[in-house]
Amino acid sequence: MTFRSKLFWIFTLALVLSVGLIAAGVTVVARRAFDESNQQHSDALVEQFQREFDRRKLEVAHRVKGIAEEDPTLRMAIDLARPTTDVSVYVNDARGVANSHQLDILDFLGNNGSIISSAENAARFGYKMDWVTQPADGKPVDWAAQGSFLMKLDTQDGPVLALMAVSTVRVADKDLYVVGGERLGKEFLASLVLPAGMRALLYLNLDPDFQPANLIDMNGPVDQAQRFAPIIGKEREQPSELTYKIDWTSDPASAEMFHALPRRGRQNELLGVLLVGSSQRDVVLLEQRILELALGVVIIGVLIGLLLSWWGTARVTRPIRKLAEAAHEVSQGNWTVHVDPRGGGEVGQLARAFNQMTQQLVEQRERLLQAERVAAWREVARRLAHELKNPLFPLQTTVENLQRAKAQNSDQFEEVFRESTGIMLSEIENLKAIVGRFSDFAKMPQPELGTVNLNEVVRSVVKLFEAQFGAVGRPPITPELHLEENLPPIQADQALLHRVVENLVLNAMDAMPAGGVLMLRTAHENGNVELEISDTGTGLTPEECDRLFTPYYTTKQHGTGLGLAIVQSVVSDHGGRISVESESGVGTSFHVELPANPPHKPQVFPMVFEKQEVS
Amino acid sequence: MKRPSCLLLAASSAAVVVLAALPASTARRPRYGGTLRVEIGAALNSLDPATPTGNAEEAAAKAQIEALIYDHRNPDGTFSDPGPFRIAEWEPGKHATFAANEDYPGGRPFVDAIEIQMGRAAKDRLVDLEVNKIDFAEIPADQVRRAAERGTRVSTSQPDELVALVFIAGRPAAGDPRIREAIADAIDRPAIVNFILQKEGEAAGGMLPQWSSGTAFLFSTAPDAKHAKELWLQIAPSPKIVLGYDSGDPQEQAIAERIVVNAREAGIGMALQSVPSAGSADVSVNARLVRMTMASRLPRAALANFVSALDLLVGLNDDPLPDSASPEQIYEYERSIVRSFTVVPIAWVPQVYGLSARVRDWKAPGPGETWPLADVWLDSTGEAAVEKVNP
Repeated sequence: MTFRSKLFWIFTLALVLSVGLIAAGVTVVARRAFDESNQQHSDALVEQFQREFDRRKLEVAHRVKGIAEEDPTLRMAIDLARPTTDVSVYVNDARGVANSHQLDILDFLGNNGSIISSAENAARFGYKMDWVTQPADGKPVDWAAQGSFLMKLDTQDGPVLALMAVSTVRVADKDLYVVGGERLGKEFLASLVLPAGMRALLYLNLDPDFQPANLIDMNGPVDQAQRFAPIIGKEREQPSELTYKIDWTSDPASAEMFHALPRRGRQNELLGVLLVGSSQRDVVLLEQRILELALGVVIIGVLIGLLLSWWGTARVTRPIRKLAEAAHEVSQGNWTVHVDPRGGGEVGQLARAFNQMTQQLVEQRERLLQAERVAAWREVARRLAHELKNPLFPLQTTVENLQRAKAQNSDQFEEVFRESTGIMLSEIENLKAIVGRFSDFAKMPQPELGTVNLNEVVRSVVKLFEAQFGAVGRPPITPELHLEENLPPIQADQALLHRVVENLVLNAMDAMPAGGVLMLRTAHENGNVELEISDTGTGLTPEECDRLFTPYYTTKQHGTGLGLAIVQSVVSDHGGRISVESESGVGTSFHVELPANPPHKPQVFPMVFEKQEVS
Repeated sequence: MKRPSCLLLAASSAAVVVLAALPASTARRPRYGGTLRVEIGAALNSLDPATPTGNAEEAAAKAQIEALIYDHRNPDGTFSDPGPFRIAEWEPGKHATFAANEDYPGGRPFVDAIEIQMGRAAKDRLVDLEVNKIDFAEIPADQVRRAAERGTRVSTSQPDELVALVFIAGRPAAGDPRIREAIADAIDRPAIVNFILQKEGEAAGGMLPQWSSGTAFLFSTAPDAKHAKELWLQIAPSPKIVLGYDSGDPQEQAIAERIVVNAREAGIGMALQSVPSAGSADVSVNARLVRMTMASRLPRAALANFVSALDLLVGLNDDPLPDSASPEQIYEYERSIVRSFTVVPIAWVPQVYGLSARVRDWKAPGPGETWPLADVWLDSTGEAAVEKVNP
């Protein structure tokens, strides 16, 4: 992953997290605010409903009191106070009065509580309503102070709940009771003024168990009334104000929050439960809208962030990328690359430093090349002088002997001439051999690739030197072969490889004048074939290691200094690399790594001398 | 029927007392002329004897009108001989005018015509009577007291209409006599008469009224809720009794509601259901209220008629009453019916009529009799004293 990509993703991630956190925070805060607002709204509505309910109670009490205070009622009370009154004349009065006062329930009761006239149950005349005349705590009930109350009442249609009030008209120590009320049913619920989105339900607690049919709204029995069984059950167990949420469908907007308000009778018994329901649709839709808005903001923010990140990272990483490309160019040998040091920040400083560095590298390389070239020429001159000096000295001596013999006109001149020319030819041969070696190095052939098994090469070389390992008169050298059996064949020039192994073995043997162990190991890894040749000789100093592959450099008294140079040249031509590890007094190890398939064009061995590894 | 000789007799009688009497006596002299305005509740669409009527009220109204225009009814149901009036106008279901038949053998009626408005509700009839818009109308018994208080002249017949609860034969809940007896004991008949009928009638314990049989007092009308509860507790499982009543009769509905209240107070589960007419036997009801008018003043004939009328509903004719039955036999027969509790008499209700101030010589008809409108004359003086119409 590129630096730009990393930076881009880091920016993007940071942006997404930031925007997401902000959006989530806003959503949570908004939701809480809405919930709180909704709660306040619901509380206000419930309070409004309570006020409406209380107002209706007052209204009922007021109407009943109004009936009691009317003149016909007073005349009825006066009539009933007489000892022989025919009460049957009043039997149908209640219905008309109830209609005119918009009451569902109206009963005129005599002093003993017997019904004189009943609007809701006209046929109950003569029967008593004992609860009206029964004293409470040993005293007659003060109905004027009682106000209206909720009550379960038996009618022709069965038991009903009603908001009731009682008023009395006293004449000559006899009471006429006016019992009136408004039935709590669907008509009552329909008459309640409720805001949009709210509805009122009433559970009539008329049966010992929960009865779905007893749960009504303004249209009659409620659908899916069974869903209210839990909250009604709780109210029946312990009446209190509760809230209860019902999800009518899987759609959250269908949810409805109900506030249950227990309604009790005079004896504190639970007679009904008013359920004020408020639809959650608006709140849920609002929350959904906020969520969608937050999501939209997040998406747009992320998109903008992505674009800005892409642009920003591109802008920020452009100098870095150019530096990286330049560094890559440098690694490829192009040291003339130049980076535009735009800007004054760290990246600009880095670019300027890079340019300075490459400039210095170029200069140093030039200097090093010049120095190396001079040193190489000096070494060549030295070696050449040394090599040529050896045969030249005998040649000079021989020529001088020959001149002296000629001058002396000795009889032995012929013999001396013969010997001298023989020596001269021999030395000339030496000179030719020296020149040939130099010529060979100069004319290293290009490898001719073929399928080569390195193990076989190693074995043939070892076999070649077997006689020398145990030669009489010199300490023995013990070869140890650790050859991987499944070594894959490689594409290489077998003759050149043979020469590489041969030179390295010879080098090892020269390093062990006192004998030792010569270890040859082959292995393969990652498609490459490895060869390690180790000796237990005297070892090399780090300085010697540094210059070991330099042509004409040798630590041996009679070496040409071209063996390891040739080895390195062959390995390089095969696309491989060679390195050396050595420890003084312990031994030296050469590691050769060759690719299974060398590149088509052999690499040009650069004039770079590395300390321990050359490729 | 009035005849010219009667007029002469009346005139001479008036002349006898004229010196001692007040000018009011001149108002007692019958006069010809005028139109008698009548309102009825029924809406008759046809007077054809072959066309059936919709309910009992229509049948009764049709019989009354037939008595105006025909003088004799044949055994096959057809009529012969023209009556005191003839049809002058006929608007089906709304209005009819009957003109006096000048050639009526019994003498021309006093009024020139009778105008009948049909389909008028009892409340409207009462109002029209109060404002003198009409001269004659039937009014419900429970409205008598109110009507009288408002100044309406009221004429009441002998209580000749029986309101009874009958258990319909073949219905499971009516098969157990204990159920029937429990319900009969639970009913507070006096309260029904006093409150619902506003004391216009009598509590009925037997199948015949006291004024007819003289033995009605032998049948108890007092409720016995305690006994009713005891009987009901013996019945297990308790059946649900559905009581039917005529949907078009508010009085019947009120009585039925009271019976249900009485029953419930005795622990008897009873429900109400309105049914279209008295003649039908709705399958969902176990019992129903019926109203039957005596066909005759004679006990035996009246009882036999009731038994015949209830035959379809209750099935009482297994042992018919002999034609020459003695009062004792009539009583026993009546008692056997009452003791079976298949028919539970509730109340005797009179026929009540409202009259305007100018109607003279009205006499409430007895059982089996029709309205004597041909004998009525109208006092056009406008200041006539109100004639006492009830005994």
